[in-house]
Amino acid sequence: MKRLTIFICLLSIGLAGNAQKYLTKNGFIGFFSHTPMEDIKGDNNQVAAILDISTGEMVFQALVKSFHFDRALMEEHFNENYMESDKFPKSSFKGKITNLSSVNFSKNGTYDVTVEGDLTIRDVTNKITAKGTIEVITGGINASSKFNLSPEDYKINIPGVVREKINKNMEVTVTMKYEPIAGK
Amino acid sequence: MKTYVKVALFVVTFIALAAILAALYMFNLKHTDMAKAKPHFVVSAVTLQKEFETDETAASKKYINKILEVTGKIASVKSGMNNSLNVSLDTENDLSDINCALPAVKDTSAFITGTEITLRGECSGYLIDVQLNNCALINKKK
Repeated sequence: MKRLTIFICLLSIGLAGNAQKYLTKNGFIGFFSHTPMEDIKGDNNQVAAILDISTGEMVFQALVKSFHFDRALMEEHFNENYMESDKFPKSSFKGKITNLSSVNFSKNGTYDVTVEGDLTIRDVTNKITAKGTIEVITGGINASSKFNLSPEDYKINIPGVVREKINKNMEVTVTMKYEPIAGK
Repeated sequence: MKTYVKVALFVVTFIALAAILAALYMFNLKHTDMAKAKPHFVVSAVTLQKEFETDETAASKKYINKILEVTGKIASVKSGMNNSLNVSLDTENDLSDINCALPAVKDTSAFITGTEITLRGECSGYLIDVQLNNCALINKKK
C-alpha cells in the first residue's frame, strides 16, 4: 500500500504539468534459464514503471502473479514453491541512471546507460548494477537491459533434486516503452 | 511361473506405466482454457476497480487467484512481447484501469479502442491497475 501511495504521488506530480516524467503500465520483464535438462521462461507484460528524465530516477513494480509461463505446472511451481507470491506479491526496483549526462533526451537516438539501484524480490533487497540502452523517439522513450540474477541471492529455495534444472544465473530482460505523463 | 508372480509383475508394470503417464501429463499440462472455464465472479470493469481502490486487502482476498469475467470499454490495446496482447478496460478512475494480459493472440480484430468487450482471466492483484493474467476473449451472444 505504501509503495502504491508513492506511485500515485509520483503520478500526480507528473499530472501537474511536469513533462519530465514518463510512465508505462505495460512494461516487459522476462527471465530465462537454460540448462541441458530444461528451459524455463517467464514473461510479465504488466510491469508499471516510471522514469524521471530530469534526475534519471527509475522505479519498476511488478506483480509476481503476472508472470506467464507456457507450462501451467511451471507457473504454479514458480508462484507456490519459489516466489511464494501469496506471501510476497510484489517485486520492485528503485534506481538511477548513473551517466545521465551522456543521454540527450531532446535528440532522437540510442544511448548507452548504466543503472544502479535496489532490487527487491521476496522482501530481500540487493544492490544491482546493469548496463542498458535508452532510446529517445518522437513521443516517448524506450529503455532496455539484459542482466543476470542468481535465485540464491533472494533466498529462493531450490531443492537439490531440481537444482540442476535451473541455471544459477537467470537471464533477465527488461523492455520499457514509456510515454510522457504530462498533457493527459 | 506361478500365477501370483505373474499378477504381481502385471500390477507393478501397470503402476509404473501409470506413474510415467501421470508425470508426463502434469509436465505438459496446459493452462486452464479460459474460454471454457467457469468464472468465480462476473463483474464490470468499473465495479472491480472500485472494490480494489476502496479496500485493497479485502478485494485481494476476494479476487486473487480466482477466475473473473470482466466486461468493460477498451481504453487501450498494446502488443507485448512474444505475441502477447495487453488490453486495458476503462474504469471511473483516470489513472487505474483493468489491465488484461492475453497470451499468444492470433486474431486481434475484436480489440478496438472504445468498444465494449468481455474477457475472462485469473486475477493477479493490484498495482496501479487491477491485473488479470492468461485472459481470453469471451464472445457474448446478442
